[in-house]
Amino acid sequence: MAYNGGAVVAMTGKNCVAIACDKRLGVQAMTVSMEFKKTFQIAPKLFIGLPGLATDVQTLAEKFRFKANMYKLKEERELEPRTFAHLVSSTLYERRFSPWYVEPVIAGLDKENRPFIASADLIGCLDFAEDFSVSGTTSNQLFGMCESLWEPDLEPEELFETISQALMNAVDRDCLSGWGAEVIVITPDKVITRTLKSRQD
Amino acid sequence: MDTLVGITGKDFVITAFDSKAVASITLMKTGEDKSRELNSHALMLFSGEPGDGVHFSEYIERNIKLYGIRHGIELSPKAVASFARRELADSLRSRKPYAVNLLIAGYDVKTDKPSLYWIDHLASSVDVPFAAHGYGGYYCLSVLDRYHRQDITEEEGIKLMQKCIQEIRSRMIMSMPDFIAKIVNKDGIRLVQL
Amino acid sequence: MSRRYDARTTIFSPEGRLYQVEYAMEAISHASTALGILAKDGLVIAAEKKVASKLLDETKGGEKIYIINDNMICGVAGITSDANILINYVQTAAQQYLYTYNEDMPCEQLVQRLCDLKQGYTQYGGLRPFGVSFIYGGWDEHYGFQLYHSDPSGNYSGWKATCIGANTASAQGILRQEYKEDGVTLQEAKNLAIKVLIEFATLELVNGKVVRRMFNQTEIETLLKENNLLTKTEEAK
Repeated sequence: MAYNGGAVVAMTGKNCVAIACDKRLGVQAMTVSMEFKKTFQIAPKLFIGLPGLATDVQTLAEKFRFKANMYKLKEERELEPRTFAHLVSSTLYERRFSPWYVEPVIAGLDKENRPFIASADLIGCLDFAEDFSVSGTTSNQLFGMCESLWEPDLEPEELFETISQALMNAVDRDCLSGWGAEVIVITPDKVITRTLKSRQD
Repeated sequence: MDTLVGITGKDFVITAFDSKAVASITLMKTGEDKSRELNSHALMLFSGEPGDGVHFSEYIERNIKLYGIRHGIELSPKAVASFARRELADSLRSRKPYAVNLLIAGYDVKTDKPSLYWIDHLASSVDVPFAAHGYGGYYCLSVLDRYHRQDITEEEGIKLMQKCIQEIRSRMIMSMPDFIAKIVNKDGIRLVQL
Repeated sequence: MSRRYDARTTIFSPEGRLYQVEYAMEAISHASTALGILAKDGLVIAAEKKVASKLLDETKGGEKIYIINDNMICGVAGITSDANILINYVQTAAQQYLYTYNEDMPCEQLVQRLCDLKQGYTQYGGLRPFGVSFIYGGWDEHYGFQLYHSDPSGNYSGWKATCIGANTASAQGILRQEYKEDGVTLQEAKNLAIKVLIEFATLELVNGKVVRRMFNQTEIETLLKENNLLTKTEEAK
């Protein structure tokens, strides 16, 4: 879990949600890439963040893309966040005794544009949250930051500021995460993706 | 432990590897080729468990070449790297995984872009401007952080590679006499004298 | 004479024919029509919608045009249940390719994969061949827009405009007459297709990305109106 490093956080706002990740990939203390994003789009208003062992991050991202595409072709509609959360859970539990080393965070708006966030552990135990979900090597620091910065009913721009500050200040206290960040804010009519520069050390 | 280095430039990728074949503490030979040409515009460098590297890279090489023959079109470097990663990731969860680190250097003739993929023995794969495997990486990554630009020409690329190797030679306790360098560009793969 | 070689799909008759395969093709020539037209800037797949009964619930959308992949659509003529199996197979194959190579599967390979499966049923004993023909339309970076046709024997071929199902001969006559030597635009192709058929899907490039579009009932009616064909079809119903 701490071999490659990485952090993901998701927050709810008023009719919007945000998910953010850092961009570092390292081999223990040595940084290899500063362009390794850990969030992946599943549907127009649904994202998953996958912090953990990089190889499993990539394998699972590819697996979920496969499953989501098949769902879309068969059902002729988009995946709902709650449906997808259970798909993630069962995919992880399939490998109960030799798990994928990732702890996913899911964020999206459902078809009534209600915010949805959830996280899971590496064997797929879901945890639905009303406020925020954190994961990765920086999870302890993120809990602290979110606990003090988050408040209910944030508007998209306020939510962006809150999640960005929470992530950037948390990863500064973790030597395995950081080196730039990506923030995605999902609102009923658009998805805003912004890249943060952050400290490069 | 073997060292692999790769650097991308404006319209090429330069790669280098030490050519030592080692058994335990003994140097068995120099001039060992630790690379395989996967197709006309993709080159794979490997290091790690001796035997695994040769076996895995030749397995990938032949599958990529078979694809070319079967379908009459060549896979792009991105597809080649994805395929190699997939095979390595599947092997990771098998009874006896391959223990190999890879660099895949390629030139996409459709988009006219060079690319370099860093893949470790756990099958994590990233597209990077420059990369290294092995102890040599600890020395030359900082050199590359300082001197690398995205728009360097082939001559500058060769000079930069020489600088990296110079650093490895002067700082590493093992002797690093022979490096072999190869360049991938729009014309294909060629050996270069450092 | 032929009777002796009928029962088995995999036995050649003395004249060197496979009767079961030919019967399967015969079955298709009675199915409702599907056509494809390749344009310079996209392509159209269209299919005939037969209203069997007023009580039939039409809300579920089309039954004859399927999405195979992000870069590919296809039209079907023949036994729908057979088609469902094949469509599922080829959709999975396309996703498997994406999973291994992180790129969309090239069109011709997709067609070939499906045809390999179909071919198997003309050779291995005890099985019936799939009674379906397909028209595939797709785009890939190797050959741009492409149109293919495949039949129950597992043969496939590339086309500029073609047609499968009932009345193939007359429909192909119209296509031959109206298709210009130097190609048509997507709009022209749509107008041409609407002359013959009802269910609709297009595939084109917008800002370098493949865009698929399934037409719903109202869009089809607008298209019909544009071509002053609405009254005629209404009467036909």
